[in-house]
Amino acid sequence: MINHYVPTSLNDALKYLSTHDCYIMSGGTDLMVQKHVSSLVLPRFDKDVLYVGELKELQYIKEDKDGNILIGAETKYADLLLSPIVPEIYKTVIKEIASPNIRNMATMVGNIGNASPAGDSLVPLILNDAEVVLKSVNGERVLKVSEYILGVKKTARKNDEIIVEIRLLKQNLRYLYRKVGARKAESITKVSCLVGYQIKEKKLIDFRVAFGSVGVTIIRNLEIENKYKNIEVKDLDVDRVISDYYQLVTPIDDQRSNKEYRHKVAMNLLRKFLLELKGGIDE
Amino acid sequence: MLPNYKTSVKKVDNEDKMSGLAIFTGDIQMDGALFALPVRSTISYGKIKEIHVPTLPEGYYFISAKDIVKENVCNIIVSDWPVFADKETHYKGETMGLIIGPDKDVCIDLVNKTYADYEEYEPVYEMKNSYVHKEFKKGDPSLFNGAAKVYSEEFETGYQEQIYLETQAMLMYLDGDKITVKASMQCPFYIHKAICRTLGCKEDKVRVIQPAVGGAFGGKEHYPSLMAAQLATAIVKIKKPLFMCFDRHEDITFTTKRHPSKTNISAYLDKNNEIIGLKIHVGIDGGAYIGCSMVVLSRALIACTNTYTFANLEVSGDAYCTNKVPSAAYRGFGSPQSIFAIEMFMKHLAGFLRVDALEFRNKYLVKTGDITCTSGVFRDPIILKPLMDKAMEMSDYKRKREEYSKPGSLRGIGISTFLHGCGFTGSGESTIINAQLKIKKDKNGIVTFYTSQVDFGQGNRTTLKRIVVDTLGIPEDHVIYDAPDTDKTLSTGPTAASRTIIIVGGLCAKAAQHLKEIWVDGEEQEIVEPYVGPSYIKWDEDTMQGDAYPGYAWGVNIVEVEVDPVTYELSILGTWSTYDVGHAIDERILVGQADGGLAQALGWAYLENEVAENGVFKQTKMSDYVIPTSLDMPHMETAFIDNPFPYGAFGAKGAGELTFVGGAPALADALEQAIGKKVNKIPATPEFIMELMNDED
Repeated sequence: MINHYVPTSLNDALKYLSTHDCYIMSGGTDLMVQKHVSSLVLPRFDKDVLYVGELKELQYIKEDKDGNILIGAETKYADLLLSPIVPEIYKTVIKEIASPNIRNMATMVGNIGNASPAGDSLVPLILNDAEVVLKSVNGERVLKVSEYILGVKKTARKNDEIIVEIRLLKQNLRYLYRKVGARKAESITKVSCLVGYQIKEKKLIDFRVAFGSVGVTIIRNLEIENKYKNIEVKDLDVDRVISDYYQLVTPIDDQRSNKEYRHKVAMNLLRKFLLELKGGIDE
Repeated sequence: MLPNYKTSVKKVDNEDKMSGLAIFTGDIQMDGALFALPVRSTISYGKIKEIHVPTLPEGYYFISAKDIVKENVCNIIVSDWPVFADKETHYKGETMGLIIGPDKDVCIDLVNKTYADYEEYEPVYEMKNSYVHKEFKKGDPSLFNGAAKVYSEEFETGYQEQIYLETQAMLMYLDGDKITVKASMQCPFYIHKAICRTLGCKEDKVRVIQPAVGGAFGGKEHYPSLMAAQLATAIVKIKKPLFMCFDRHEDITFTTKRHPSKTNISAYLDKNNEIIGLKIHVGIDGGAYIGCSMVVLSRALIACTNTYTFANLEVSGDAYCTNKVPSAAYRGFGSPQSIFAIEMFMKHLAGFLRVDALEFRNKYLVKTGDITCTSGVFRDPIILKPLMDKAMEMSDYKRKREEYSKPGSLRGIGISTFLHGCGFTGSGESTIINAQLKIKKDKNGIVTFYTSQVDFGQGNRTTLKRIVVDTLGIPEDHVIYDAPDTDKTLSTGPTAASRTIIIVGGLCAKAAQHLKEIWVDGEEQEIVEPYVGPSYIKWDEDTMQGDAYPGYAWGVNIVEVEVDPVTYELSILGTWSTYDVGHAIDERILVGQADGGLAQALGWAYLENEVAENGVFKQTKMSDYVIPTSLDMPHMETAFIDNPFPYGAFGAKGAGELTFVGGAPALADALEQAIGKKVNKIPATPEFIMELMNDED
C-alpha cells in the first residue's frame, strides 16, 4: 500500500521524512510521467509520496544583503520568470523549458532533484556555482549543485533530507547560451552550451563553460577554465580551448539524436561563443 | 450561379469543440463497461506455440483466435491481416488476444503475466521480399536502347506517424441483440463490414455511430476495423459493453503509419539532351500484412510522373513485406513519396544537363489534352502556369532565388508543382463504392440528409450542409445534417481519398437539386440519389491503364528556408501556395486544409523522424517523435485560382490530400539551395544536414 502524505508545514514534512523512505514531489511534472501506467489508471509508485508542492513557506524569491538570490524550493518556474530579481540568464534558460502550462507547475528544485543529464536549469546553476540548502530533523547543510548531483538520477541527498532553498550567488558575468532541441518549443535538449565570462581592461578575468545533454551530467571543468583566466582576451586561443573540451564532451546515441551530431554541435557552439567573446572586447 | 466562397460560415461544431462539450469516444460513460487490453506478441516473426494465460479472477476474460466466430480475417482491401495472431506472429506487437475485465489496473497486471512460447523464424526488416508487384508502360520504352545518355538517382522517404489529437478508441455494446459501435473513425461502413465478416452475421445486426472524432489523417481508415473485429469476437461471448482506448505510446508503437519508400528513376536522353523517356521503380515498405498497400502502391505509381508528360515510360513498383507494423493510409496515400522523388529528380537532371531547373521542368509540364502516364487523358482545363506565376509573385521567388544563389547564403527558396487525383482510383466510385445519398423533407419543410462522411476536424459537416442549404435556397436551420449512423444513412463511401467534396459534395448538390425540382409544400418527400460518374472514365486496375481519376486538383508550393551553420537546424521562413481545387466552397475551411496539410508535409520533410530498429519503433512518445509547433511554422500565404469542375458540387474538387503532396520537394529544393548539396532523402533532420554539409564530395 502506497501512502501519499501532504504536510502542513516544513517541520511536519521533515518529521515525515525522518521515518519514511519516500519520493518527494513538487510540481510532479516529471514524477507523474515516470510513474504513469495508462490512461484512467493511477500512476504506480513503488514508495510512499511526500507532496510538498503546496508548502507556502517554501515559496519565495528574495535577495540577501550580499546580493544573492534565495529561492524557496517550491517556487514555480512561472514565478521565477515574473520576478524582477531573478538574474536574466536563468530566465533565458527557463523560457525554453517545456511549455507555459508545465512551467506553471514545475520547479527548479525538481530539475535539480531529478538529476537528468538533459536538465536545462542545471546548466546555469552549475556554471554559476549555485547552491542548495538541504534540511532534515538533524540540521541543515549547504552543497553546490555540482556537488549535489553525482550522476544520472543520482544525488547526494540523504533519505531524511529535503532541498529547501536554492541560492543563486551573485555573479558578475556576461553569458552566451544556446539550447538545441528538435524544434523551437517544447523540446528535450539534444545539446546545450553556456559560456560565462567577465572582461576587465581587455583581460579575461572570469571564464566558465558548461555543456548540457552531452555527458552523464552537466560538463564543467575548473582546471580548463583557470588556464584561461587573467589572460589578454586577444590571446585567447579558440582552437586550444576547443581541443581542451574535445575529449570531455561524451554524448550518446539515443532516440532524439546521435553522438556525432551532439559532439560536433557542442564544439561548434563553443567556437561561435568564443569568437563572439573575442569580438566583443571593444564594446 | 456559384456561391461567393469568400463568405465563410461558422463551422457547425466550433462551439462544442472549443468549449469541451463535444463528446468523443473516450468521454462516453457506460455502466458496466469492461476494459479490453491487447496481449501483444514479443517477437518479430515466428510460430506461436502456446499462449500462457494466468488464472483469471471472476469477471475477467481472455479472448483469442480460439474464439473467432466465423473468419479470422480483418476486412481490409487485401484481407491478410488476422483479427488475432493465431499460429504465427508477423510483427512484434501483433495482437494475440484481449484481456477483458472491469478494473483496468487488474487487466494491466494480467496482460503483463500473459506470455507465449514461440519458435522464432528469421525476420526481414529490409525492403526485399515483394508481396505486390505492379508495372505498366507508356509509348515505346524500347526506344531507351537508343539513348545517348542515361541519368539515374535513388530517393528515400521515411515513416510518418499521424499524431491525431485523439488516439484510437472504441466502445462496443449490445442494444438488444444489435452490436453497436461508437468509435474514433473515418469510415463507419468499413467497421460495419469488418464486424459482419468476422462474425458472419447479417448487416442489420450491426450499427456504427460516429461520435466526435479528433483527427484521423488516414490512421483511422483501416485500423479501427481491426479493433472492431476483435471487440466483436469478444462481445459475442461476454455480452457486456467493451471499451478499448490506446495510450499515446501504444498508438505510436502499434498502429499504422505512412509507408517508407525507395524510388529509383532513370532518364534516357537523346543527343540533344531531350528526354526520350523515364524508367521508374517505386518500392514501399508495407510491413507484415498487405492490407491497403496494393492501393497505396497504385497511387504512388500513378503519381510517379507528377505534373510532367513524357512520351515513353516504363513504370514498376513493389510493396515489400517486412516484419514490422503494417503501413497503411496517410494523407496522400503513396503519392507524396513518388512526387518527392520525381520533383527532386527533374531538378537534379537539370543540374546534370547544366540548364535552369525551372525552365527545364516547365518544358515537360502537362497541358490540357496530354496523355497521362497510365495512358488516360487530362481532359479538364489545366492552369498550372497561372498557379506558378501567382505563387512566384506572392513569394518574390525570382529575386530571392537569385539572391540566395550566392555561395554561403545559407538561405534557399524552393518550388514544387503537383497534382492529386480526387476520389477513388479509376472508375472505383461507380464500380466499388456506389455511393447513395438519402435526403428527405417533412411536412414543415425541414430537410434531413445523411452521408457516411466523418468530420474529424476538416469541416465537411459544415461544407456538405452548406452545399445543400445553398442549392435548396432555404434557411440554414431548415436543414438537419448529423454525424453518420449506419442505421440511418446509406453508404456514401469512406471519408478518404479526397473524395468527400468532389464526389459526395457533388452527390449532395444533385440530390438537393432534385428535391428542389419536385418540392411540394406541406408534403413529406424523400429521394435516394445514386452517384453517377463521368461515363468517359475507364480504368483497368490489373493493367494500370486508362483514366486513373475522375478529376485532378493542382497546386504550387514555394518554401523559403534558412540553415544555421552552427547547429544545422533548418528554419522555415515562409511558405506561399496556390491551388486549383476547382471552385472553393468555403475559403476559410480550405485555408485550414492548406495550412494544416502543408505543415504536416513540412514536418515529414525535415522534422518527424521515426526509425525502426529490429522491427520496433525507437520514437514512441511525443517528446521523441516531434511534430511542428506553431513556433516552427512561419506565416503561410495561400491563394486559390478558380477553375470549376463540372462534376463537383458548385465546381469543387478535392483538397484534403493535395495540400500535403508538394511540401517535401519544395522544402528540399530550398534546402539544396541553402547548403549547395543534393537532398535525396527525407526527413532532412539536423543530423542529416550536418552529414550533407560536411560531406566534401
